[in-house]
Amino acid sequence: MPLTRSRREFIRDLGLSAAALPFLMNLPSLGFANQTQRKKRIVFVFSPNGIVPKDFWPDEVGENFQLKPILSPLEPFKKQLLVLHGVCDRIRGDGDGHMRGIGCLLTGIELFPGNIQGGSDTPAGWSKGISIDQEIKNFLQKNPATRTRFGSLELGVMVPERADTWTRWSYAGPNKPLTPIDNPYQLFNKLYGRAKDNQVLASVLDAIQDDLKKVSEKVDAADKRLLDEHATFVRDMERELKEQQTAAQNHPIPQLEPGIRRDNDNMPKISKTQLDLLVQSFVADFARVATYQITNSVGEARMRWLGIDEGHHTLSHEPDSNQPAQDKLVKINKWYCEQVAYLAQRLAETPEPGGPGSLLDNTLIVWTNELGKGNSHTLDNIPFVLVGGGLDFKMGRSLKYGKVPHNRLLMAFAHAFGHEIKTFGNPSFCRDGVLTGLV
Amino acid sequence: MIHPLTKTLAGVVALVVFTPAVGAENRTGEQIYKQMCARCHGAKGEGTKKYELPLVGDRSVAQLAHLIDRTMPEGDPDALDAEGAKRVAEYIYDAFYSPTAQARLHPPRIELARLTVKQYRNSIADLIGSFRPAPKPDGRTGLRGEYYNARNFQPKARLLDRIDPEVNFDFGKSGPNDQFDVHQFCIRWEGSVWVPETGLYEFVVRTDHATRLWVNDLRTPLIDRFVKSGSDTEFAEPIFLLGGRAYPIRLEFLKAKQGVDDSKKNPNPPAKPAFIGLHWKRPHRAIEVIPNRFLTPQRFPEVAVVSAPFPPDDRSLGWERGTTVSKEWDAATTEGALEAAAYIVAHLNELAALQPRDRDRIAKLQAFCRTFAERAFRQPLSDAEKAFYIDRQFEAAGNDPELAVKRVVLLVLKSPRFLYPNAGRAADPYAIATRLAYTLCDGPPDKELLAAAAANKLSSRAELLPHAERLLQDPRGRAKVHEFLLTWLKLDQVKELVKDKKHFPDFDATLVNDLRTSLELFLDDVMWSPNADFRQLLLADEMYLNERLAKFYGYSVAPEKGFKKVTFESQDRSGILTHPYMLAALAYESESSPIHRGVYIGRGLLGITIRPPMDAFTPLAPDLHPSLTTRERVALQTQPMACASCHGIMNPLGFALEHFDAVGRFRAKDRGKPIDASGRYETRAGTLATFTGAKQLAKFLAESEETHYAFAQQAFHFFVKQPVRAYGLTKPEELRKIFAENNFNMRKLIMEIAVMAALTAPDSPPPPRANPPR
Repeated sequence: MPLTRSRREFIRDLGLSAAALPFLMNLPSLGFANQTQRKKRIVFVFSPNGIVPKDFWPDEVGENFQLKPILSPLEPFKKQLLVLHGVCDRIRGDGDGHMRGIGCLLTGIELFPGNIQGGSDTPAGWSKGISIDQEIKNFLQKNPATRTRFGSLELGVMVPERADTWTRWSYAGPNKPLTPIDNPYQLFNKLYGRAKDNQVLASVLDAIQDDLKKVSEKVDAADKRLLDEHATFVRDMERELKEQQTAAQNHPIPQLEPGIRRDNDNMPKISKTQLDLLVQSFVADFARVATYQITNSVGEARMRWLGIDEGHHTLSHEPDSNQPAQDKLVKINKWYCEQVAYLAQRLAETPEPGGPGSLLDNTLIVWTNELGKGNSHTLDNIPFVLVGGGLDFKMGRSLKYGKVPHNRLLMAFAHAFGHEIKTFGNPSFCRDGVLTGLV
Repeated sequence: MIHPLTKTLAGVVALVVFTPAVGAENRTGEQIYKQMCARCHGAKGEGTKKYELPLVGDRSVAQLAHLIDRTMPEGDPDALDAEGAKRVAEYIYDAFYSPTAQARLHPPRIELARLTVKQYRNSIADLIGSFRPAPKPDGRTGLRGEYYNARNFQPKARLLDRIDPEVNFDFGKSGPNDQFDVHQFCIRWEGSVWVPETGLYEFVVRTDHATRLWVNDLRTPLIDRFVKSGSDTEFAEPIFLLGGRAYPIRLEFLKAKQGVDDSKKNPNPPAKPAFIGLHWKRPHRAIEVIPNRFLTPQRFPEVAVVSAPFPPDDRSLGWERGTTVSKEWDAATTEGALEAAAYIVAHLNELAALQPRDRDRIAKLQAFCRTFAERAFRQPLSDAEKAFYIDRQFEAAGNDPELAVKRVVLLVLKSPRFLYPNAGRAADPYAIATRLAYTLCDGPPDKELLAAAAANKLSSRAELLPHAERLLQDPRGRAKVHEFLLTWLKLDQVKELVKDKKHFPDFDATLVNDLRTSLELFLDDVMWSPNADFRQLLLADEMYLNERLAKFYGYSVAPEKGFKKVTFESQDRSGILTHPYMLAALAYESESSPIHRGVYIGRGLLGITIRPPMDAFTPLAPDLHPSLTTRERVALQTQPMACASCHGIMNPLGFALEHFDAVGRFRAKDRGKPIDASGRYETRAGTLATFTGAKQLAKFLAESEETHYAFAQQAFHFFVKQPVRAYGLTKPEELRKIFAENNFNMRKLIMEIAVMAALTAPDSPPPPRANPPR
């Protein structure tokens, strides 16, 4: 109900009732909830349309493995890398492969019957359950020691302005898809809007006080008391804003380059800007969980900056025998991998505030995909590439599993946060418990 | 229950006994008071430790004399004869008891007031709205429906356009008509929704297919269930809206699959049913299909609704006023200003009428900011003020014009010139325009009023009256009038109406909702009838009923949709006093309550100050007195002397309504005994009015000067939000006369009040103090 959407989101994201708002001037303190315990973070990165298996999966198992072309950008982080082959999205039911691919990826549960018709199968609606990122966020937000201002951030790059099964992967609950923010300015506003507002407010306070003084001279002595009282509140506000600005000096508001257009050709710049803001959010401890959705299921990014004019999804249907198309798909997937690598690099070069090591030492990036392979629409061997030390998994390995349901991996993420759920998503895929071999 | 005048003199008895007897005939009222009363009541009636409550009130001399004669001195009323009591009564009445005496002792003044919360929200909405088109309501109702014979809203598939009175359709397994494909069609309804009162509304769409609903903001849906998912068929979202305004609304319904079109692959699927309904829950009301009268196909612009929570206004005198400030209030105005600034920046091109590549963007923004400040302050800016509020802010913002706009908006909306509409302003025409508008609409002056101020055409009653008439008719003015009537009926505060399910199984939330609608339709009906005759509120022999209400209350109406006016026949009903909503609100869960009804009539209609009982009492349980009627039980419980002085007034007023039970249904008997609906009232003029039943009571009240006086005074306080005697000690009586001279036309009374308040400048500031002598 606030006048603009950004403020509505702002209030909601604070997790505070609207009634508490007028008394809340000291926001940044919320951003530094906990400085004693080691922080753990997780970032889920989505890219669409499957990968090219032969140029993706390492041949070897164990600590000695070679990175194939698509994964080559992660070479500098090989010691902090864990590649999981053989994890399968076993969810069936309504919806075509793409819809289930994205809709069940983080939720591990079926889609509701609905009115969205895919290229095959029955029509479907939204997912029937919460996604693992939100499950972990809720767990962290329940505990004052791990609670942060936002809990989680849902980001994206060029996500179509259309809410349907193909464009959402993070769910707050059944039938509750979350809209990723793919506009850096909107994201900036969410993160720093209030701090910016307070700066402007502080800069006009002297004028407000002058104004009160002038008007006060014009009123009756009995009425002047009311305005004098009012003036004391304005002075209080000035003091509070000053205190707040002192407290916020540790985390200055970043500068955002103006005029970044939201269009296909600008994807590299948008992606970099979004990732920079994400890293800064971690520095400020605004959130410990994030999702990063590049385009959408069936995404049609045209990577002209790589010399590729066709849309990604169209290309992904080309048969294995079409070598030029496969080459392009490798390039496209490598570009997605570069985004993961850029994030890893930014995290690695940023020291953990108030702790030893880097942000990457305390963050796990999970790069995944809606499909195992684009031209077969298989949900087997869903790519799961993990980077970083956040969850204390034993990194620097390539593992191969035998068709394990991905629910067990999702549970493993929660367990690593100390959230020991017995099932997640469809319980029939959780019978064998948390995925082993990660630690 | 103990009345101030009766508790008093227990300790004085001794004094009285030892005072040498002096013949009352030789003493003045003042002498008697000093000898016999002052010890407990204080020299000036201010109260003492023995009896703390001051002797102030609104009884007449005659009523006081009677009361003193009967009860004073406490414990020995014979010590003072009737003549002595009369003299004491006259003395205290003039010296300190009466409101006029109090006003003389402590002269009330027109206090500096900030905007009330309602006025604040209206001011922001109107201020921003003043930069948008303001269509005149054309009176049409319903929504415009566009029906498409396709799986989406493609223009060439638009088969049918029509006005739908409301949205509540069950298409079954067919289409809107035979031309439509039963498997896929979609409908879009557009127009605006009138919001009668300020509060949290819940919009509810019920459908078994895909739907989207926009309210106010047509860019972002309030409800987005365009992806049909699962089996839910009811979707609800809350939204805070300001009363007296229309908000753009759009509803989309889609019976079709989205995504890949497989209709050719799958040519003959089984037909599915389809329904769609647009409902709402008004604040504290039950869910209902949004009635036709609140829908219009006319498109109104978006309203900027500030939703920052504010601490409630002071209502200790019975009306909201802005004469106090607090840290919470100040913080809320900051939130409101930030919210408004963000909104303005987000809609800057639209509000400032900018083209995307305007060369003179900065100049246009400066002009916009100046107009914004002038409208916010409700007067033109001087050059010095323009330099302060506009130029300096643009200079400080460097080359960031949006930052400059933000600075201006924050500065202006945090300025006392915006927050205190009367601060330091005398009788200039803009100040008059401002007072008139806030009095009638709780909002800022409109463009016509500002133009009249600029032309210096707002200096007399004759010049102001046409504006008052226009503002009163304005939807915001109408909403304020409506709210006043509810306040007069003491129905403005939230109160849930729940009755004993065992006794009244059909009296549920839906019925209560209908009853409230019935009452409000009646109030508006009288208020906006040609004569707006106040007496009709009490005397009308009609009531609005729909089928459900008619059935419950034993009337017959044509079985058509909606509310119809029904004339009472045999039952003893008359106007609002016997409206079942009032009767049920002023009753217990299963029994009537003559006391509550009497207190309402006394306080609300006759304007008597009735203090709450000194102790809390639980009403006698009917089960313990199975043979007693309600009247008998009440009489039994309030018999003691300590109760009688107030209950002697209240009960006989309430008894006249005993023909109506806890849900306002007529009854001939109570506990097997015929109803005794006889009542009486000792008037301020000293006469005794008697009546039996509701009709006679209503007739007495409709003709009573006391009722007229109280109504006029309450109207003044509600609309002006300042003490009436600050405008002159005789103002209340003048208002009563104006009311009577205009044949009790409520609209004329309100206009006269508004004009009078607008033309009265607050106490002007003292001249600047000279330097103190050395």
